[in-house]
Amino acid sequence: MIGTVAANIIRFIALMLLQVLVLDQLDVANGWMVPYLYILFLLMLPFELPAWAVLLIAAATGLTMDLFASTPGMHMSACVVMAFARKRLLRLMAPREGYEYGMRPTVPRMGLAWFATYASVLILIHHLWLFFVELHRFDSLGATFLRALLSAAFTLALCLLAQFLTSSARERGRA
Amino acid sequence: MRDLFRFLFRVRDTLLFIALMLIASMLLYSGNMHHRAQAINSSNAIAGTLFNWRKDVTEYTNLREVNERLSAENAAWRNRHNTAYAPVAEQFVRINDTIHRQLYTYVPAKVVNATWHKQRNFITLDHGSTAGIGPRMGVIGPDGIVGVVHDVSAHFASVISVLNPDVRTSVRLSRTGHFGLLYWDTNDPATASVVDIPKHVRVAVGDTVVTMGGDGVFPRDVPVGVVRSVEEPPGRPDQAIVITLAEDLTRSGFVYVVNDLQQAERDSLQQHQLSP
Repeated sequence: MIGTVAANIIRFIALMLLQVLVLDQLDVANGWMVPYLYILFLLMLPFELPAWAVLLIAAATGLTMDLFASTPGMHMSACVVMAFARKRLLRLMAPREGYEYGMRPTVPRMGLAWFATYASVLILIHHLWLFFVELHRFDSLGATFLRALLSAAFTLALCLLAQFLTSSARERGRA
Repeated sequence: MRDLFRFLFRVRDTLLFIALMLIASMLLYSGNMHHRAQAINSSNAIAGTLFNWRKDVTEYTNLREVNERLSAENAAWRNRHNTAYAPVAEQFVRINDTIHRQLYTYVPAKVVNATWHKQRNFITLDHGSTAGIGPRMGVIGPDGIVGVVHDVSAHFASVISVLNPDVRTSVRLSRTGHFGLLYWDTNDPATASVVDIPKHVRVAVGDTVVTMGGDGVFPRDVPVGVVRSVEEPPGRPDQAIVITLAEDLTRSGFVYVVNDLQQAERDSLQQHQLSP
């Protein structure tokens, strides 16, 4: 239990630093691909966590990101929407016998297909919300949609990469 | 009553979701509307210190380029200094120059964090209120305008970049003298739009656009950009002008924060006009 909490706190700090110090400066394809890897922290929260706790953690995570990006409420709302959708999605995607204790929403534990589906849906929800709130007007719907789509693909690729890089060989062998 | 509590308990997640979304919308609304985002912006001590550390590490990678730009700027000022001129005709030389009074002071600052590829871009500077920087001051670089300060802490300032639709700067076509507004809707860090210039004005590709001044943010005639394309879309009273920005906002190293010394005087006069 303590180990899980500590692991999540370390993951939060590491992903935040990576996002704020490195990824936010990344200019890929002239602004068409802007990755927001920090939401991997929310994706990897344990299944057992009650929905209200996930919502509060998501709000705090988004607010932290807002603090660095000077965009009050923008990342917060996107993260809260994502956390709300996560609850529904997890119920939809539950295995027939339900989630077992100790299962984690990661590639080694749940398989690549499951994680890719789970992550892509939530990342897409988060990015679409974020990019449309960021634009704050409705004159370039198509361009913003494409921007969100491309960025979501980039974020998903980074999420999968991060999973493969951080999962230990032991875990990979078992999966 | 117990049923009510039971019902509330069952929908507690949805209620929490609605409450959090309300808080987020309030932040979003007040942030966008009033340009003062309470404490939630990068002028806070944590973000500023973190960005400063990164700058300390990455600064060395482009020192050569920054030095070249600074020395070019120094040379330009040296060329305008009066020791670079010799009197041509003695009767026209102004000996004593005490009739000028200072309108602006400039505070040098370093960009510690900047984005340019998002749809709303912000910049963080390494100086704040202790260096004399305050909200609504203009920020200019060696080549042109950069942004407007929107919040400061003791040692950091958060700047809304001109690459942000929230900043609308009054600009002037320097050839014809017509006024317009600079508005970033191109989503491209190299260009921006100038709106509100009526259709009868003849604008040519290559015309320079400078700041209008007098708004207490930027001095007069600071370069903004050069007209890249002009169109006359039907159903709009103004022309669609796209300019190439003078300052390359993807590489701002050092910038100057403009302090307008007449700001208080102008503001109090306008207050008088509003409440006679």
